[in-house]
Amino acid sequence: MDPECSQLLPALCAVLADPRQPMADDTCLEKLLDWFKTITEAGSSLLLLQENPCLVELLCHMLKPQDLSSRVLSFSLRLTGVFAAQEDCFQYLQQGELLPRLFGEAGPLGGAAWTAPTVRSGWIQGLRSLARHPSALHFLADCGAVDTIFSLQGDSSLFVASAAGQLLVHILGLSMQGPADGPPSLQAGDWPACAQKIVDHIEESLRSAATPQITQALNVLTTTFGHCHDPWTRVLWVRLSPLVAGLLEKDPVPAAHSLVDLLLSVARPQALRAQAFAVLLQPLACVLKATTQAPGASGMVDGTAGDSVTVDTLLPSKAACVGLLCRTLAHLELLLPLPQRPCPWPQASLLGAAVTLLQLCQGSASPTSDAGRHLCALLLGCVRVQRAALDFLGTLSQGTGPPELVTEVFAVLLEYLRSPDSSPTVLKKAFQATFRWLLSSPKTPGCWDLDPQALLFLRELLPVLQKRLCSPCWEVRDSGLEFLTQMTGRWGGQASFRHALLASEVPKLTEQLLRDPESYVRASAVAATGQLSSQGLCVSPASPEHLGGQQKSPLSELLHILSTDSEGFPRRAAMHVFTQWLRDSHADVVGDTEEFVAGVLQVASQDLDWEVRAQGLELALVFLEQTLGQPGSPCPYAVTPPVVAPARPLAQALQPLCRVRLFEFAFRALFDCDRPVAQKSCDLLLFLRAKTASSSSPQEARISPDVASVEAALQRWQAGDQAQPLGDLEPEVVLAVLRSMDLEGLRGALAESSDHVEKSPQSLLQDMLATVGILGENEADCY
Amino acid sequence: MPEIRVTPLGAGQDVGRSCILVSIAGKNVMLDCGMHMGFNDDRRFPDFSYITRNGRLTDFLDCVIISHFHLDHCGALPYFSEMVGYDGPIYMTHPTQAICPILLEDYRKIAVDKKGEANFFTSQMIKDCMKKVVAVHLHQTVQVDDELEIKAYYAGHVLGAAMFQIKVGSESVVYTGDYNMTPDRHLGAAWIDRCRPNLLITESTYATTIRDSKRCRERDFLKKVHEAVERGGKVLIPVFALGRAQELCILLETFWERMNLKAPIYFSTGLTEKANHYYKLFITWTNQKIRKTFVQRNMFEFKHIKAFDRAFADNPGPMVVFATPGMLHAGQSLQIFRKWAGNEKNMVIMPGYCVQGTVGHKILSGQRKLEMEGRQVLEVKMQVEYMSFSAHADAKGIMQLVGQAEPESVLLVHGEAKKMEFLKQKIEQEFRVNCYMPANGETVTLPTSPSIPVGISLGLLKREMAQGLLPDAKKPRLLHGTLIMKDSNFRLVSSEQALKELGLAEHQLRFTCRVHLHDPRKEQETAMRVYSHLKSMLKDHCVQHLPDGSVTVESILIQAAAHSEDPGTKVLLVSWTYQDEELGSYLTSLLKKGLPQAPS
Repeated sequence: MDPECSQLLPALCAVLADPRQPMADDTCLEKLLDWFKTITEAGSSLLLLQENPCLVELLCHMLKPQDLSSRVLSFSLRLTGVFAAQEDCFQYLQQGELLPRLFGEAGPLGGAAWTAPTVRSGWIQGLRSLARHPSALHFLADCGAVDTIFSLQGDSSLFVASAAGQLLVHILGLSMQGPADGPPSLQAGDWPACAQKIVDHIEESLRSAATPQITQALNVLTTTFGHCHDPWTRVLWVRLSPLVAGLLEKDPVPAAHSLVDLLLSVARPQALRAQAFAVLLQPLACVLKATTQAPGASGMVDGTAGDSVTVDTLLPSKAACVGLLCRTLAHLELLLPLPQRPCPWPQASLLGAAVTLLQLCQGSASPTSDAGRHLCALLLGCVRVQRAALDFLGTLSQGTGPPELVTEVFAVLLEYLRSPDSSPTVLKKAFQATFRWLLSSPKTPGCWDLDPQALLFLRELLPVLQKRLCSPCWEVRDSGLEFLTQMTGRWGGQASFRHALLASEVPKLTEQLLRDPESYVRASAVAATGQLSSQGLCVSPASPEHLGGQQKSPLSELLHILSTDSEGFPRRAAMHVFTQWLRDSHADVVGDTEEFVAGVLQVASQDLDWEVRAQGLELALVFLEQTLGQPGSPCPYAVTPPVVAPARPLAQALQPLCRVRLFEFAFRALFDCDRPVAQKSCDLLLFLRAKTASSSSPQEARISPDVASVEAALQRWQAGDQAQPLGDLEPEVVLAVLRSMDLEGLRGALAESSDHVEKSPQSLLQDMLATVGILGENEADCY
Repeated sequence: MPEIRVTPLGAGQDVGRSCILVSIAGKNVMLDCGMHMGFNDDRRFPDFSYITRNGRLTDFLDCVIISHFHLDHCGALPYFSEMVGYDGPIYMTHPTQAICPILLEDYRKIAVDKKGEANFFTSQMIKDCMKKVVAVHLHQTVQVDDELEIKAYYAGHVLGAAMFQIKVGSESVVYTGDYNMTPDRHLGAAWIDRCRPNLLITESTYATTIRDSKRCRERDFLKKVHEAVERGGKVLIPVFALGRAQELCILLETFWERMNLKAPIYFSTGLTEKANHYYKLFITWTNQKIRKTFVQRNMFEFKHIKAFDRAFADNPGPMVVFATPGMLHAGQSLQIFRKWAGNEKNMVIMPGYCVQGTVGHKILSGQRKLEMEGRQVLEVKMQVEYMSFSAHADAKGIMQLVGQAEPESVLLVHGEAKKMEFLKQKIEQEFRVNCYMPANGETVTLPTSPSIPVGISLGLLKREMAQGLLPDAKKPRLLHGTLIMKDSNFRLVSSEQALKELGLAEHQLRFTCRVHLHDPRKEQETAMRVYSHLKSMLKDHCVQHLPDGSVTVESILIQAAAHSEDPGTKVLLVSWTYQDEELGSYLTSLLKKGLPQAPS
C-alpha cells in the first residue's frame, strides 16, 4: 500500500465505523473491497493488518452492539474473509477471537442485522473467501457455520440462496482435497468431518418430502459434478445414486428440472446420449409425421410419434407447443456444431422438419391429417417459432441435404422474404439463413461461382430484395442492405451474379438509400455502395438513363456524406469504405491517390466524432505504408528485384505525405481531446520515426532545419489553442520535429489516461472521505 | 394457487439500475434493463444468470419492457440482447425507441474513448438490438401474445417516458418506471386511469421528500447564472445530451429574453439540432402549452442558444455553455471545465447526480485540488453549484398515483431502504393495502384470485328472484345450476336448460346400501318398525309408509327383505338420490345403530 493511502486509511475506517455517516455511493464499498483484494493477492495480509492497525479496529468495532449500517457490516464481513484467506492472517485474527465473534452465533447471525439480505450475503461471501486452508475447515466445523449455510440455501433472497449452495460445493471440494490416500471408501467413517456433514445433509434432503429441499440438494450435486471430476466424486455418486434413483420412482417426480440437470451432468455414456437425443427429436418427429401423408416418412425416431394422440399429449396447447418447439430447435442448434453430437445425425429429417415448421407458421402447408391441421392452427403466424426455425435452418446449412430438400429450403426462404406478413426480425433472420444456404450451395471444385440452382434462386431473390429495400420499416431496409453487402462481397466478382444484379434495380436503389432519413440505413447504404463500387457494380454515371442528369460518382457521393451527414454512423461507414478502397487500390482512388487522400483527411480531421478522426489516422497509416513501400507480407511467388540500395532519398519519399498534409493532421491529432485519436496518432508517428531512422542516410540525419515555428505551433496546440495552422511542411522539417519529440513519453501519459482519476485507490479514499458531511445537502439523486 | 411474483435484479432498495422480473399468470416479463454507471466492469450490468438457472432467456421471458431512455433503465439492453443472447421482443414508446440508441451510442463512445474498453457492446450491437424493438403508442393495447397484453401511460419525467400496465386475463401489474406528477416547462404530468391492478410497482426516489416549490429552485438557478454572467464569468452546465437539458434551455431562453441579456449561450454542437428534431417529431408528448403555441412559435427553436464550437471556450467575456457528458468524466464538458476551473469568476452548475470517480463527484463533494492525468494538479477556483432538476414524483405525488390507480397492493423500487420504509407505512395506513419493498434478489409472492366472468341465464335468475331474494353484491349466496363451458365462455343455466341445450337425456343416479338388522319378525313388521322409528326421529321430513311395504323419506327408499341364510336377520335395502346424499348417509348411519326395542 502506498504511503498516501496508508495515511488516509485511519480516517476512512473511522468514518466507516460511525453509523451517523452514511456512504454516498453504494459502489464505493465494492471498489474498496476490490482494492483490498488486489493488495492481499500481491502481498501478505498479516503485514497489512500489522502496519495498519485501524483495519482490525474497524473489524472489532463491528462486534459492538450499535445501530450499524447493514452495508458497512456486510462489507466488514467480506473484508475479514479476504484477510483470513491467508492462513497466517487467519491465525492472527483467530487469536483475537475475531472470527468466531464475527461469523459465529454471537455475531450478526444472532442479531437484528441478520434480517438484511446484504448482511447474510456478506457473511457467506466472507466465509467463501476465507475457506482456503485446513484451519478454515476446522473453524467452519467448530463454529456451526455449516448448519447456517444449510438453512441459507432456502433463503428468501435468490442471491443469498445461490451463494449458499455454491459455498457448500466449495467447502465439500476443499475438505475432500485433504485426504491423501486416494478416494474415500463408501463407509461413512472414512470421510472428513466437514464433507461427511454435508453429504449427510444431502442424503437427508434427498429423502425429504419437501421439493425445495430436494431441489437444493440436487443443485449442489449438479454444481459439484459439473466442476469437479476428481475420483472422490465417483465414490460420492455411487453412494448417492440409489437415493437419486428413488426420486425417479416417485409419482410425480419431484424437482424434475433439477433432476434432469443432475443426470445430464453425471451421465456421459453413449447410450444415454442417444436416448436423450431421441427425446429431443420427439417434437420434430411429431410435427413431421403429422404433416406427411406417407406414414413412417419421418425416419427420425421410431415409435408412435406423430399420430394424433401424440400430438395432443406432446403439443397440447399453443403455449406448450410453441415453448417446446422453440426449446427443441434451440437445443439442436447448439448441438449441431459440437464434435460430440449424436451420430448418425438425421440431417435430412431435421431439414424437412425445419421447412415444415416454417410452412406451418406461414400457412403454406396443407396437412390432411387431423393432427396436422391441429398443428397448423396452433402455429399459424407464430413469430417465435418462425425466428427459432429460421435460425435453426441457417445452422443446418453446414451440412448437406438431398437436392429436392434444398430446393424446398430455398423455396420456403423465398416465401418468407416475399411474404408481407413477415415481421422485421423474421425477415432479418430469413436474409441471414438465405446467405448461409447460398454459401453452402454445391460448387464445382475450383470455381467460386454459384451453382445453377442457386443462380436460378438468385434471379427470383433480387426482385424481392429490391422490394424490401423500399420497405417503410427502417429495420427491413437495413437488413436488406446488410444482406446485399454480404452477397456482393462474396460473389461480386462472378459473372453470373454480376449479370443478375446489374439487370435489377438494386444498385440504383442502394444509391438512393444513401439519402435515407434513417442514419443506420444510410450507414449500411454507404457500406453496400463501397462494396458494389469495389466490384464495379455501381450504377454507372455514363449509362443512358443518367445522361443529362447530374449523377455523381460513388466517391463524390461518399465524400459528400463524410462532410455533411449529421450522424456519426454514415460518416464512420464512409471512412471505412475509403480505407478499404485505398488498401484495394480501387479504380477511382488509383487515378489520383494523393488528391483522394488529401481530400478525405481534410474532411476527417474536422469531424466532431472522434471515431471518424481515428479512422482518418488509419487511412493515413495505409497511405504511409504504401508510400514508403511497407512490404507488409510479400507474396511468396512474386518476383521481387534484389534490394540494392534505397530507391530514393527519404525526403523525397516523404514528399507525397507532406503534399496530402498528413503531418499537420497527425500532429494536431496528438493533442486531440479524445484519447484514442491521440494514441493512434502517437503510434503512427512512432512507426514513421522507426521507419525513417532505419532508412535515412547519414547526411539526412545531420540536417537541422529551423523547426522553431513548428514546435511553437505544437506547443500552442497542446495548450488547447488549435486555431493556428501549420502551413506547408518540408520533409526535412518533419524529420527533425519527429526526432526532437518525446513521443514515447506522450504514449506513456496517454496510456495512463484519465483512468488514473477514476481508478486509483487514493482517489477512491479521497472521494469517500470528502463525501462525509455533505450528504444532507445533495440528496441522493438520479437522472 | 395463482400468484404474481416480483424479483428485482436491480432497483430493489437502491437507485443504481432498474431491472425487475415479474411473473404473472405464467408469463414472465422483464421491466427495464438498466446499467450502473458507477462500475467499470461486469457489475455495471444486472446479473442475468439469475433469471433462469438453465435454459435460454428467450424461451423463458415473454418480453422486455423499457420505461424510458435513461441509461439506468436501458443501458444494459444491447448487452442483454446481443451478448447474453435474448432474442425476443422489446417494447418501448416511439420517442424512447428514437432516443435510446443515441444515448447508448454516446455512452459507448465515452466508455471506449476513456478506458479503451474492449468487452463492451459495439455500434453494430446497438443497431441489432434496436431492430428487436417494437414501438408502442400511449393508451394502445398491445398483444404480446394471445394472453399477455401491455398498455403504456404518460409518465412525464423525460420525453417518451411511460408507465406500463401488464395484463393477463383479469390479473394485472402496473410498473411506473420514473415519473413526475407535476407538469414542468416542457412535459406534462403523469396520469393513469383507475385500472385497479393487483400490484402497482412504483419508483420511490423521493419517498420522504415533499419538494420545495419549483419556482424557488428555478429562481435560484437563474439568479446564480445571472450573477456569474454579470461579473463577467463563464458558466458551465454539464448535461446529458437529451433529457432534462431541454428544460434548462427553455428556462434560460425565457430569462434571457425577459432580461434582454446579451451574453451568448452555447450548446454542444449537433445535439441542439438533434434534440430539436426529436421534440418536433414527438410534440404530442410535450405539455399542453408547448403544443398549443407550437404553430406560432416552436419552444425548442431557441433564439439565444447557439451551437458551440471548441474554439469558443477561449473567447473573452461571459458565456453560458451546456456541454456533455453530465458527470464531467470525459469529452467536451471535462475539457471546458479544465480551461475554466482556475478562475474564481467562473461557475459550474451540476444539474444532476454524479457517480464516484468522476470529476463531477469530486467537485460536488468539495474537493478543490484534483489530480488529473500525468499527476498534474488542477486547482478548482471556480464556483461549484448543485441544482437538482431531475423530475421524479415526491412523496405526495406517489401517494396521488396510488390513489389514482387503486391497486390491491403496492411494491416500492428505485429508492433507498430507509426512505422506502417510511413511505411503505404511509401507504399501508392511508390506503389499507399491503406494501412491499424487496431488496435485490428477493422475491415477493402475491397470491391472486383471478375472477372468471360467468353469464347466468335469465331463467335461473328469475327462479332465484321468485324466492323473494334480490341480488346483493355484499351478500354472496349459493346458486345451484349447471356450468356450461363452450367456446371459452362460461354460462350458468338450470339443469333442465342444460339438458335441452346439449341434447342430453336425464339419468338418475342412486346410491344404495344394505343394513343388516337383527329382527326375527316378518319383513312387513320390520318395515313398520323402521317407519315408526324414522317418523319419531325425523320430525321435519316427510316419512311415508307405502302400500307395497316400503318406507320413503324424501327420495330415500327403504325396503326390508329376509336374509337368505339367517332367518333371525333382516336386510334393509336403502337407496337415495344424489340430491339427498347427506340425508341418505345420515339415515343409514341411524339404521346401523339398530331399532329401539319394540314394546312387547
